[in-house]
Amino acid sequence: MTEPVELSAPAGPSGPPGVARGSEQVELTGMAVTSAFGRGLEPLLAGALEGRAAFGPVRRFDVAGRRAQVAAALPGAPALSGELARVIDEACDGAGLGAAARAACPLFLAVHGDPDLGRAAPDERAEHTGDAFAARLARRTGLSDAVRVYTSACVAASSAVADAGAMIAHGRAARVVVAAGYLVEPDQFALFDAGRALALDGRVRPFSAGRSGLLLGDGVAAVVLESASAARRRRVPALARLAGWGRAGDGYHVCRPRPDGSGLARAISAALCRGGIGAAAVGYVNAHGSGTRHSDTAEAAALYGALGEHAAEVPVSSTKSVHGQALEAGGLLELVVSVGALRAGRLPVNAGHLGPDEACRLNLILHRAGRPAGAYALSLNVAFGGANTALLVGTP
Amino acid sequence: MRGRAAIPVDPPRELTALAARARAAHLAVLASACWPESTADQIPPPLPGFVSSSFSPIVAEVAKRALRRVPQRGPEVVTAVVVVSALGDVASAAQVAEAVDTGGRVWPLMFFQSVPNAVAGHVAARRALTGPIVSVCAPEAGIEVAALLLEDGDADEVLVAEVDLEPADGAGARGAAVLLGLRARSGLGGAA
Repeated sequence: MTEPVELSAPAGPSGPPGVARGSEQVELTGMAVTSAFGRGLEPLLAGALEGRAAFGPVRRFDVAGRRAQVAAALPGAPALSGELARVIDEACDGAGLGAAARAACPLFLAVHGDPDLGRAAPDERAEHTGDAFAARLARRTGLSDAVRVYTSACVAASSAVADAGAMIAHGRAARVVVAAGYLVEPDQFALFDAGRALALDGRVRPFSAGRSGLLLGDGVAAVVLESASAARRRRVPALARLAGWGRAGDGYHVCRPRPDGSGLARAISAALCRGGIGAAAVGYVNAHGSGTRHSDTAEAAALYGALGEHAAEVPVSSTKSVHGQALEAGGLLELVVSVGALRAGRLPVNAGHLGPDEACRLNLILHRAGRPAGAYALSLNVAFGGANTALLVGTP
Repeated sequence: MRGRAAIPVDPPRELTALAARARAAHLAVLASACWPESTADQIPPPLPGFVSSSFSPIVAEVAKRALRRVPQRGPEVVTAVVVVSALGDVASAAQVAEAVDTGGRVWPLMFFQSVPNAVAGHVAARRALTGPIVSVCAPEAGIEVAALLLEDGDADEVLVAEVDLEPADGAGARGAAVLLGLRARSGLGGAA
């Protein structure tokens, strides 16, 4: 731990009033992922770069009586705790963290909750708090018992990353492991089906004419975030820099986004401000792009609000079009995809596109082999409650 | 309680703990509230759009009470909402699980109330609060998140609301809320 250092945002583009960040640079030194494409970044990135969707009939549980029948899920019924432990181990190994370093490292976990809570006997529920679930995971993976659990729906993981970044930048932590997981299961499937949020045509079509909703998808991921000076001392190379982050609310509705996207625009502006870059340096946007009518329109408006006319030029895709909506884990899954794409120098396809929507005038990546137009990528997420986050990553 | 005067009750220990943690983190407690506050607090006021569980109504009520105890803020004051709950809306989660397992109906209204963000969004919309919305499982996390949001300048004030539907002491569902600011800004109004 180092002493906290307060520093105003770096000179450069102005963000929302008052936006600040600590002086430490934040690097990503390990990452691992599991998705419907299988374990590892390689199959996920290949699917995203080819625009090959992983959706198929749900076989993990009975969907008889549901309107929708499709999700992006691994074969079988993997256990969330085991999959989380596996990605945490892999990310820590990739970052070269030995037992002592792991034991000093906090775990920030983004999940809906303990998957067994809803079916636990009332007198056993206290053993199924989110923190108890995270503490068992931390013990299993040799991490510190300083756990923190985020349950903020679709911004849970991205909020955890933003907070970890802020803590490291302020010198309050040298290193944080952020993990997140969602595996398609019958309760959320039933809720989203009842809410008529799922696409009945079996595809997610972000920003497209004719889009009709989202589809759920498996996503389990972990990253090691670390101060640049700590990584340098350990002689560990960075996979990427977490250059900036922003969080803001709509103050508008329980579950609908503010139509002008001004909340998300403030989050994006704050991320750029913390990164010390202007809009023109953003070479790729991994959009939230849920494939729902109102959310995609508001997100397009937010991009114009924050990036100005660069919003018409910057390459944009929503990889939910291939891996689905991983709810609390979505922000981390998509951050890993964004980092993988930046490192590969190729950009994921916005799959499922049927035709342009005038309310979403974006430079969508519709064909293979799109290339980043700059050294930075933005990963955006929005959630119920009008929550918005923006994460800015750059090549090392 | 009709016909009888409401008698104040001791604040739940969650409120005392939240305020103590906030002060230890060098934050100013600008206002506070809890459920129940008196013997009149038997059933939290119903919340349109939320059904079958007192989770969201309690969050909304403690938030409303805390925010009413400070002067109305202008749009220049950005307020975040942080919801703290160890189990989340366990009542709704158990109902959905039972409906799924028995082939019962899952009601559309249960869709959005299944995440604690939803009631945070309700509070934010009612009071035009445009700061970040965060949900975490532990009060320590809630105060740490609030401190970071204030330090990072993503919020000028943070409303932290904690709810526990099944306290270990069996005393019944309860909630607490504190409105926090940086100590230097405590002159914005209110005190607890």
